[in-house]
Amino acid sequence: MLISGLGCATAWAHHSFAIFDHSQTYTLNGTVLSFQWTNPHGYIDLDVEEGPAGIERFSIELTSINMLRRSGWRSSDVKQGDHVTAIVAPLLSGEQGGLLLELIMQDGRKLVPPVPAIDSFERTP
Amino acid sequence: MSVALAAALMSWPAPAQQHGDPGIGGTWEASFARGGNPGARSAQAPPPLKPELMAQWQALQAEIRAANERGEPFATAATFCLPQGVPAMMGGGGPFPTEILLSPGQVTIIQEAYNQVRRIYLGKAQLPIEDVEPGFYGRSVARWEGDTLVVETIGIKESVRYREVPHTLDMRIIERIRRVEPDVLWDEVTIEDPAVLEEPWSFTFVLRRLPDYEMMEYVCEDNREYADSAGVTRLRIETD
Repeated sequence: MLISGLGCATAWAHHSFAIFDHSQTYTLNGTVLSFQWTNPHGYIDLDVEEGPAGIERFSIELTSINMLRRSGWRSSDVKQGDHVTAIVAPLLSGEQGGLLLELIMQDGRKLVPPVPAIDSFERTP
Repeated sequence: MSVALAAALMSWPAPAQQHGDPGIGGTWEASFARGGNPGARSAQAPPPLKPELMAQWQALQAEIRAANERGEPFATAATFCLPQGVPAMMGGGGPFPTEILLSPGQVTIIQEAYNQVRRIYLGKAQLPIEDVEPGFYGRSVARWEGDTLVVETIGIKESVRYREVPHTLDMRIIERIRRVEPDVLWDEVTIEDPAVLEEPWSFTFVLRRLPDYEMMEYVCEDNREYADSAGVTRLRIETD
């Protein structure tokens, strides 16, 4: 018996993911300009080489670094100059930013941030 | 042992267990499943606010839902790097663990999110509410009733709200903290605030033991999320 499904959402809701589009994803290939290992969120700034038209630079939000660390991430996992593929849920505002759902490193290693209810973000090509 | 320490220990009505800890010490994480724990009161049931305040609270909840659905969530305390305070930090840390430390005369509760710390004094009297400066954690005193730590907290500032529920400076929070299973901790919270509540508001935070966890630091260092002039959450975009 659960307290309630809504309960989970509410209890976790000191941060909302509602600014991000849950109905589409972007796949961005590019070079890491910076990997910011901070709370309440980590960030990757990406110089986009391949992605939807008009995107040159993208600000990518990650979960709290404490959550990342508990799921196995290290601050040294991503470095300036790394070539990566980022799957992101874009901002609904249309600005050049989004939420990281998956990061594929050049060696094929896949890093997934522990975004709550990550399956609620619909993946699109 | 110093005379002062001996006196402190003697005035601390400790339960029978070693070191005065009936097993509530250690690291825990919020659990949203009641599992085999019938009797836990949902922390998500509507608060028993007086009718007029209840209508306002329900309208606010509807506005929050609508804003989220529009993709324009209202900024919250977290947007401004503010901690949750009492009682929200006891169960609202979401994925962030809680550490309970017992020492003579004091129980200390640390919530990893925002490095929140509560100091709960044993064997000390509570102060009159007017003598406590309102803050995020208030002033807490406690006593042991068997293996249950009974905590009384006053002095929570009006802007520090659990689930956006309004309260006055006269709010008094009673918590009964105990283990209900070897690895399950309950914090049964009762909020008394007759000016806004029809009756005391009771709910239970359920925590599960997280063995051998080493608490991490959490400094809110550079939140690129911010509130725009309409109070809507936005993400700062780096351009150079």
